[in-house]
Amino acid sequence: MKRDTMLVRMGALLLALFVAAPLYWMLITSFKTPFTVGQTPPQWFPHPFTWMNYRTSFTYFDFQHYLMNSVIVAVASTLVVLVLASSAGYALARFPVRGRIGIMMALLVVSVFPEIAVISPLYLLMRLLGWLNSYQGLIVPYTAFNLPFAIWILRNYFLSIPREMEEVAEIDGAHPLRTFVSIIIPQATPGLFTAAVFTFTATWTEFLMALTINSSTPYRTIPVGIALFGAQYTVPYGDLFAASMVSIAPIAILVLIFRNAVVSGLTQGAVKG
Amino acid sequence: MAPALIVVSAVTLFPIVYSIYMSFNHIHLTLHGFRFHWAGLSNYRLLWASGLYRYAIGFTVVYAAITVLAELILGTLAALILQRLRWGRSSLLALLLLPWSLITVISAEMWSYIYNGVYGVLDAILLTLHIIHTPVVWLGFPQLAIASTMFADIWKTMPFVAILVLAGLEMIPVEVIEASHMDGATAWQIFWRVQLPLIRSTMSLAALFRILQAFGLFDLPFVLTGGGPGTATESIAVLGYQVMFQDLSFGPGAAVAASTTALVLIMAMVFLWVFRGMAEEGMA
Repeated sequence: MKRDTMLVRMGALLLALFVAAPLYWMLITSFKTPFTVGQTPPQWFPHPFTWMNYRTSFTYFDFQHYLMNSVIVAVASTLVVLVLASSAGYALARFPVRGRIGIMMALLVVSVFPEIAVISPLYLLMRLLGWLNSYQGLIVPYTAFNLPFAIWILRNYFLSIPREMEEVAEIDGAHPLRTFVSIIIPQATPGLFTAAVFTFTATWTEFLMALTINSSTPYRTIPVGIALFGAQYTVPYGDLFAASMVSIAPIAILVLIFRNAVVSGLTQGAVKG
Repeated sequence: MAPALIVVSAVTLFPIVYSIYMSFNHIHLTLHGFRFHWAGLSNYRLLWASGLYRYAIGFTVVYAAITVLAELILGTLAALILQRLRWGRSSLLALLLLPWSLITVISAEMWSYIYNGVYGVLDAILLTLHIIHTPVVWLGFPQLAIASTMFADIWKTMPFVAILVLAGLEMIPVEVIEASHMDGATAWQIFWRVQLPLIRSTMSLAALFRILQAFGLFDLPFVLTGGGPGTATESIAVLGYQVMFQDLSFGPGAAVAASTTALVLIMAMVFLWVFRGMAEEGMA
């Protein structure tokens, strides 16, 4: 298929432009001054180039609080999901559980259910528990909604680990828990990465629950902070995009480093699911 | 296993069912809790009488249909390009993961800046190319605002679909494609008769997943258009949020939420039914 090459290259170039152009625009706007942000015709490259927006978003808009809240909620949810999902996934892969496929499918479907369908009872529940505007008010639902997919990914990994590994450990007299922690878990590291990247991304980007459950300023996460950013009449795009770039950075780095894990995770969710 | 399942069910399954129960009640918030009074169908009667609700349902269904279809077609095209690409393939894949991992609220702000009718870069580009002669206020007119919202959605989700379809394509054994090639099939025939039937289940699952997501459409219109202009881009979820958390009418709000559940379940069943038909056809 040599004659396809030119066409394929053109297509790839178009695709890259389509995806990258809006991101480029956001990136360079974060380096523009308040005056050049609103300039017509727009500057294709920021001149003068300034880091001022990055300073303002932290000093004037308290972006560091949102950043810290997001980190706490996302990291805690991811850790809890990994611990619960690795034990549940192992159980599903190794021990006969009645109706396990039915349970898994039901949970997987529910975990991609539109949030609006669950938000009002969840809000009332958090109100009843006194968990509105608290970290656990988001960590608990985030954990629950991300567990099914993580269990699914890890189960598939555990299934691919030969049973002989455990048998040898058992013969050597290792306790089942020790076998799990020091033999099985290290083998499932790629699966753990995939599950971690997915859970972290989902919790980092979640908006509706964060908006309703943690609406007061000290507990706002990044999406809520950014949605309610700034003044009433004019949007301070420079500051807003500076804050956005800072919040994109960790996840972009994570995704770029673990891109193979992400792609294989997407594949497993779709093809084996 | 058991404790995890209990937590998950308590926070996921239970609210869905409870939301349906709530929709048949009048709900009064008290200082720390809430009180229910049985209301029968009155919440639903209230909603059905409102043009806003009927519009939101129609809008969400049409929006989901158009964006998901566009994403599947463009995503498949992108996947076919990626499959043949050798130079820069892994960089392009990494680039495609960026919109997927982007906070939707941020992409909504990004597009609101691009679409701006005074200093937006889209107008600047189109004016330079002489495609338009006066600046267009993209989010200022109902149909333009709907199309602009859809475009922003496609930008964010098409790459995700492309990666899923690419994964499906890569699972087809190379021999199958080589054999069809030797038999003299054109590239188009290979795609239409060999590859597409083999990635049908991948595509169906991607479509189902995307449709479920699209029915919950909230973040993008909430930030980009606020449901406007007027109520042109008001999805079921945006309406439900306003009814519940701005008017604090939890009964009618729960009815809006329950209709999302109903839509999703109907959609999933129709989908499974169509998909079953496809599977039989494939075996025949």
